[in-house]
Amino acid sequence: MKISSFKWLFGKNSEFWPTNMKTGMWAWVGHRLTGLVLVAYVFLHLSFISTASMAEGGADFDTLMATTSQPLFVAMDFLLVIVVIYHAMNGLRVVLFDLGIGIRRQKLVFWVTMAVAAILIVGGLLAIWHLVFPEGGA
Amino acid sequence: MAENRVATSKVAGTWAWAFQRLSAVLLIIFLAMHLYASHFMDVSEETSGESLITFDEVSIRLDQLLYIVVDYGMLSMVLLHGLNGLRTVLFDFDMFVKRRKLIDVGLWVVGVATLIWGIVILFPFITNGG
Repeated sequence: MKISSFKWLFGKNSEFWPTNMKTGMWAWVGHRLTGLVLVAYVFLHLSFISTASMAEGGADFDTLMATTSQPLFVAMDFLLVIVVIYHAMNGLRVVLFDLGIGIRRQKLVFWVTMAVAAILIVGGLLAIWHLVFPEGGA
Repeated sequence: MAENRVATSKVAGTWAWAFQRLSAVLLIIFLAMHLYASHFMDVSEETSGESLITFDEVSIRLDQLLYIVVDYGMLSMVLLHGLNGLRTVLFDFDMFVKRRKLIDVGLWVVGVATLIWGIVILFPFITNGG
């Protein structure tokens, strides 16, 4: 596979070159990247739980849950929250357009779904705040 | 559009397209249920008020058929949506479009194998007796 085969993806004349991208294209690229991250996450999620649930009585599972509730892991969970909510809300926007809703107001629908996403992300942050900063009190 | 790219809809298929939308909506509902059941619901008096997930707590939940159906239903949707999404991304590349059959078979094998793996993962929780 020659490097030049990827000119459509990386070249200055490519539709993906940052200055050539408009709102809808950014949303599309973001949807794909977050989608790939989520597929990887699902398989990690399954393999960790699978390994930990083998031990008799679930001792390893409880250890795993105690480890992953440490502040560092919960902070990483927050990144997952952002990725999931962006993917879900942008996906909802795509579904709405496919149903014929909001096509004439694409940009508005994008920013409304992103506003809802922002509210949900803040809600997620509030829900896990006491686990990331145990001393602070919630 | 660059010459070596083919419209996704022409490669991926209408059923895959429609199913991706249906599973997307179902996944939002499943994810909300999954998070609520794992992190906010109290399954027994002993575990009430505990934010930590424990093996026993999950076992108590998975003694009920409803939770098994919801869990396994979510896994099925996640796999179909995730692998179908991956397929769409791959088909934006010429070199994968050329190997369409191989990728379709490969993704189905991964999906079915992971569904069987899912039964294996649920098994210790279901047989724990709560």
